[in-house]
Amino acid sequence: MPVFRWGQTWDAFRDLEREVDRLLSNVNFTFQGYRVGRQYPALNLYELEDEFLFTAEVPGTKVEELELTMAGGIMTIKGLRSDPEGIPEERFRRQERLRGPWQRSISIPERVQEEQLTAELKDGLLKIHLPKVEDVSPRQIPVVEGDQ
Amino acid sequence: MTEELTPSTTNGSRVVNQLAANVERNVFTPPIDIYETDEGLVLHADLPGVTIDSLELQVQDNKLTLFGKVNPQIPDGAKPLHREYQVGDFLRSFILSDEVDHERISAKLTNGVLEVTLPKATQVEPRKIEVKTD
Repeated sequence: MPVFRWGQTWDAFRDLEREVDRLLSNVNFTFQGYRVGRQYPALNLYELEDEFLFTAEVPGTKVEELELTMAGGIMTIKGLRSDPEGIPEERFRRQERLRGPWQRSISIPERVQEEQLTAELKDGLLKIHLPKVEDVSPRQIPVVEGDQ
Repeated sequence: MTEELTPSTTNGSRVVNQLAANVERNVFTPPIDIYETDEGLVLHADLPGVTIDSLELQVQDNKLTLFGKVNPQIPDGAKPLHREYQVGDFLRSFILSDEVDHERISAKLTNGVLEVTLPKATQVEPRKIEVKTD
């Protein structure tokens, strides 16, 4: 394992390591593949008594960088990870975190009140609440006697 | 999971650690960025779900350790329907070089991202020792 310290003249190793990092980052961290082949952000879906709950880990995304839209039963989450800003590539010793814009669309469960959707973002954790449609009592369908 | 303030092959991998009282919790290695500034080094770590109260950051000897405890993200009784990620705590440690001024390390936590500033120690001017003869 190379050891880098200020003032040491191991620049060759450093370039090599950075190059390897860059190659690896191309493999692992494309925007749709958080961990290999996986969409970002990863989502969990839970069912509660009166709602469905999506959770996602989106560290580094600010509320104003987050956009949530809903159309035809498809929910789209868009966001941006902008930090750290203005740091030239050659200043990095490690680069493992995702950066840049991301987007994900998912179909939402049936029988939810789309217009009642609420979302909260706290400590890098996104929660989307989808209230269920209140239980409708069974509807009686009158049967009429057909013509004989 | 201790490493010199750069290389790591355990990027984002997960290990299950036996922590206190036989409670098994997931412990993840958070992804990090480290970059140099004129003043020193800056480290960013993704710690979604970690709050200031649940974050422990400590320097002992020359080892910097971050441990972020993640509180349950969902109410009790929620039924998982679909799971793409697991919830767990975050742990990673680093060996600091002598050139980091341990006393002036500072940190802040914003939107689930920890930023640690590691200032370079100011260079001590070489002192000339005068040699006298009797």
